[in-house]
Amino acid sequence: MRLLIVGFGFLGKSLVKAIRNKIDLLKSVDHNFKIIGVADSKGYLYSSKGLIIEELSALNRLSEHKEYKTSETAAELISKDLCDIIVEVTPTNIINGEPGLTHITQALKNGIHVVTANKGPLVLAFKQLTSLAEKNGCDLLYEGTVAGAIPVFSLVRECLQGDKIVKLSGILNGTVNYILSRMHFEEISFEIALKEAQERGIAEKDPSYDIDGIDAACKVVILANAIMGRNAKLQDVERIGIRGITQEAISLAKKANYAIKLIGTVDKKLEVSPKLVPINHPLCVHGTLNAIHIQTDLAKEITLVGHGAGKETVSAILNDLITILKKRSPEDKNP
Amino acid sequence: MTIALADKPGQLLKALEPIAKNGGNIISIVHERDKLVEGYVPVSVVVDFPLRENYMNAVNELKNLGIVVVTSSEIVEKVRLTLILTGNVNLLEVVKSKIRDAEIISLETSTIKPNEVSFKLEAEVSVHGVHKFVEELKKIASEQDALLILPFHL
Repeated sequence: MRLLIVGFGFLGKSLVKAIRNKIDLLKSVDHNFKIIGVADSKGYLYSSKGLIIEELSALNRLSEHKEYKTSETAAELISKDLCDIIVEVTPTNIINGEPGLTHITQALKNGIHVVTANKGPLVLAFKQLTSLAEKNGCDLLYEGTVAGAIPVFSLVRECLQGDKIVKLSGILNGTVNYILSRMHFEEISFEIALKEAQERGIAEKDPSYDIDGIDAACKVVILANAIMGRNAKLQDVERIGIRGITQEAISLAKKANYAIKLIGTVDKKLEVSPKLVPINHPLCVHGTLNAIHIQTDLAKEITLVGHGAGKETVSAILNDLITILKKRSPEDKNP
Repeated sequence: MTIALADKPGQLLKALEPIAKNGGNIISIVHERDKLVEGYVPVSVVVDFPLRENYMNAVNELKNLGIVVVTSSEIVEKVRLTLILTGNVNLLEVVKSKIRDAEIISLETSTIKPNEVSFKLEAEVSVHGVHKFVEELKKIASEQDALLILPFHL
């Protein structure tokens, strides 16, 4: 299968390196697998025979490559039937989903399978995109959109097929978890913990997307729609962030053997808010870790813990890619 | 509850009907036949009702059927909740407010700064009253522009 990677930022570059390191595995599943193109916001590299992966993985910017072209956009490349799969890893935009929404829509309309870690399109148009994928007989996988490397969608899809999912709750934002963990263990104020997170590159200069719970709310929407079959929008989530959490509140909680965590919940209602989590509960993880607690009718309770956003997300993207390669290229299993 | 049933066929079924009709789940029935008095047998019934209201309705219907309820007592299943309120909280208003079906077990506050106090409240709440308790606290928090931090399972 022919892969086009759309987006050459942190995740795109990390993905190329991971594919380089795992090329034998990928070829064992599909011996015709190749990356035929990589696009960024200004141009692209393309070769119908497949790009040289060592060269790709050495690039800091696509424009460094002598074959870099600016004559077409990623959307135009997608519409030309040059690829079988795209991995869409452009920056998340929850206002209008662009450019990711156009990329994914165009791909699915052309019967091209999509793997994405881009939350924006799924938050804004989940039902439209999944219906389009179904209508055109192609796959849309998005493991990397929620809790990075934690394989929540794969687990529910493959291993909980007989279960009814009753409730989902989780620590879905590593930046916020880092801040609250520092407040808990080091007994520092919210302001100092935030400043520290920004200095370490864990929080953005404008941290509002994280600390106001917007990022977690996006993930709640995707979980609700994908796992619980809802048709939720961002405005359906009752959202409270962590700006009001004081060191005193953290200390009171700690004395009672609780930690205050920002919890996203998919239940009868959708919610993101600070909650008291017992310190010995499997959900009570610290630092930048994420955790998802799944309650079902049969398995009862399952907790998954792992790294959220970061290069670990590549694990989720690669797994989705291999899932599609296995499903769609069975004849290539024995080259 | 202990009810007095006439010692003749069909009486127990007659008594169980209003209990079942009001959502009662029978946990145990004990006929104390050795305590037969003037043709009546005391029967001890332990029942789990969803709400207090259901229990009261069942007792009234038994009485309307002419079945004597000799004794009855309630054991209300309760849960202990810990929560935190932080911000511009008027402690006195919180303590004074009537939070139904809840008994405040303990209250601990942080050092009080103007417009910024945090306090931890532990309360025992009937299982069926938890939702109302939480909604009342949310209302108080909203009115006082304070942040209410509940246990994560709520």
